[in-house]
Amino acid sequence: MNDLIEILLLCFLLCSFLLTCSSRLLHCIKLVAVQGILLGLLPLVLSDVGNSGPGLGILFLSIINVVIKGAVLPYLLIRTMHQAQVRRELEPMVGYALSSLLALLLIGGAFWFSRQLDGTGPVASRLAAPVAFSTILIGLFLIISRRKALTQVLGFLTFENGIALFGVGMMLEHGAIIELGILLDVFVLVFVMGIAVFQISREFQHIDADRLNSLRDCPKESAAE
Amino acid sequence: MILLLAVIFPLLAALAILLGGCSAKPAWGRSWLLAGAFSHALLCVLAVRLGGHAWTVLLFRTEEWLALDRFSELILVLTSVLFLAVALHLFFWLPAEYQLAKSKTADTGKKPGGDFLPEFIFLPCLLGFLATMTLAISSANLGLLWVAIEATTLVSAPLICFHRSPASLEAMWKYLLICSVGIGLALLGTFFLALAAGSHASLNIWALAAKANALNPQWCKAAFILILAGYGTKMGLAPFHTWLPDAHSEAPGAVSALLSAALLNCSFLGILRFTQIMPQSLQVFCRTLLLVLGFFSLAVAAFFVIRQHDYKRMLAYSSVEHMGLLALLWSCALKDSTMQTATMLHLIGHSLLKMVLFLVAGNILLAYGTRSVTAVNGMFSTISRNAFLFVTALLLVCGTPPSPLFVSELLLVCELGPWLGGLLLVLLFLVSAGMLSTALKMSMGTNPLFTASAEPARIAETLCVLPALSLLLLLLLGGMSCYWLSRMNLWW
Repeated sequence: MNDLIEILLLCFLLCSFLLTCSSRLLHCIKLVAVQGILLGLLPLVLSDVGNSGPGLGILFLSIINVVIKGAVLPYLLIRTMHQAQVRRELEPMVGYALSSLLALLLIGGAFWFSRQLDGTGPVASRLAAPVAFSTILIGLFLIISRRKALTQVLGFLTFENGIALFGVGMMLEHGAIIELGILLDVFVLVFVMGIAVFQISREFQHIDADRLNSLRDCPKESAAE
Repeated sequence: MILLLAVIFPLLAALAILLGGCSAKPAWGRSWLLAGAFSHALLCVLAVRLGGHAWTVLLFRTEEWLALDRFSELILVLTSVLFLAVALHLFFWLPAEYQLAKSKTADTGKKPGGDFLPEFIFLPCLLGFLATMTLAISSANLGLLWVAIEATTLVSAPLICFHRSPASLEAMWKYLLICSVGIGLALLGTFFLALAAGSHASLNIWALAAKANALNPQWCKAAFILILAGYGTKMGLAPFHTWLPDAHSEAPGAVSALLSAALLNCSFLGILRFTQIMPQSLQVFCRTLLLVLGFFSLAVAAFFVIRQHDYKRMLAYSSVEHMGLLALLWSCALKDSTMQTATMLHLIGHSLLKMVLFLVAGNILLAYGTRSVTAVNGMFSTISRNAFLFVTALLLVCGTPPSPLFVSELLLVCELGPWLGGLLLVLLFLVSAGMLSTALKMSMGTNPLFTASAEPARIAETLCVLPALSLLLLLLLGGMSCYWLSRMNLWW
């Protein structure tokens, strides 16, 4: 079973890496959806390690996870994309070639960092922690380096997927209530952010987050003086 | 059980407003808002009166989910009272705001409506905000705490956009993105702590606190850094405070009052919980981090308050300052538990004062229609009651006796010793100098364009009863705490 876990984790990592070098938003949304589905499948595979098969609770959580992260959130994002009429992330702050290079560096850093940690308790796989940290870092990198508000939402989702992967991979059990609560929060967040992106595109005729800079401590008139 | 009801009642009221939909009369939604706020206040008082009774604890599968201790009890009642006051204020403020907007559009000839968030979305979000804050304050589980604090961000984000404008959208976007990423880090920190406790440990706060010294210190350290960055973002500690001035200045007065006076306390409680769990060997580390962030927040606030062009932004930076002071006070309280009282005193004093200040600032905005300090002058001759309240509350928030903040700041300076205490005094002086000079500019002089008989001025004058009452309450509290201080006979 261990091979299957590692294959899933590597697919997860590949998705995060591809996110940094694709410019089409639809493609990015699909990659994040695939990540969500992989994340939902992981607990099922992990529970087989104990030879007892997945319990009903785990099965239920997995299904909800796959449905929300693999279907509902991508649907919301694609709808927002059509409403805001953007297809591509043109001219990111950091070019795609450089982005992928930096992503490789981040992944390398995450693997190096994970080797320094001392393990406590059971771990799903040696790969779990480094893959989770890489995804978290790549998510943060996407939020910083992309202009479009929608890509920032995707970056946040990647970041959150990474954190959730850390929780699953370290075999942390914190009860169904909290798992459901976290999922609900992420769902509502994407919903609210989708509305916000739509309103921004209507009000400003663009969704470039770096041009949202009218609020500042020195008003522009006095800065020009 | 009572606490669960305190979460559910506001949600039910919100549901009732939503079911009314956009066609319902305005009185329908507003009376449900008051009903939600009143029932919540009653339940909270009941929960505190019953103390540790089984009815106040929510058990599910033998695990505690909602429970109160003495810190959360205090913050819960405070939040409930503040919300009730703000709800009462809104009850009178909303019609006044609409009326003014209508007369303004009649003057300029633009078509009315469409500039406001509809009330049947605004009021449920407000009630949802109360419910999620209650959940955050009373949760006995670190995971649930995270879920609740993230939920407060989500329901309060639409509130910032009450006046629809590009600037408020920008503020809302920054608030959503920065706080969500920050709180995401806090989730990672929570996972780290779970890892430090071993994989099958529950995240119950008191269970973890009982075996604090058995936790893995390396993971705990990492967890605390992430938690401080995460909940610190929500609390408004510099350098993670960047969303705060934008959101507080763009939101309507009543919403800024809630954000500043109630929400920041909830995230402070989050940080407080984690310091309770940290093992003994890490206490010095936690204290140092809190000290550094506290002083940095004070310095940032002092830098930006001076020559601030926007009076609501100035109040927002004052919140950053006071959150820094809370971090400092708590860092002292970790060493010397008598400072815990001072911390709570500071928290209550700051919340009450900030509510008064933001409500009055909302009135000034209503009267003058601008947030610029240079455009507002001669307040004493036009809106004298609001001007009196504004100046008094600013003096008190700067720590003038008999403000309760005077007592807590005095204790803090004594506790920090000569060097750090001296630095603190200098920073406090800078902040108060900046704020009071702004207040003088706004309140003195004459304004030829605007007279006391104008309609906005009259409306703003009628809306200052509630802030005045809260200020009175605060002065009473301040007087009492000064009296305690003299009774304690610490340095006389």
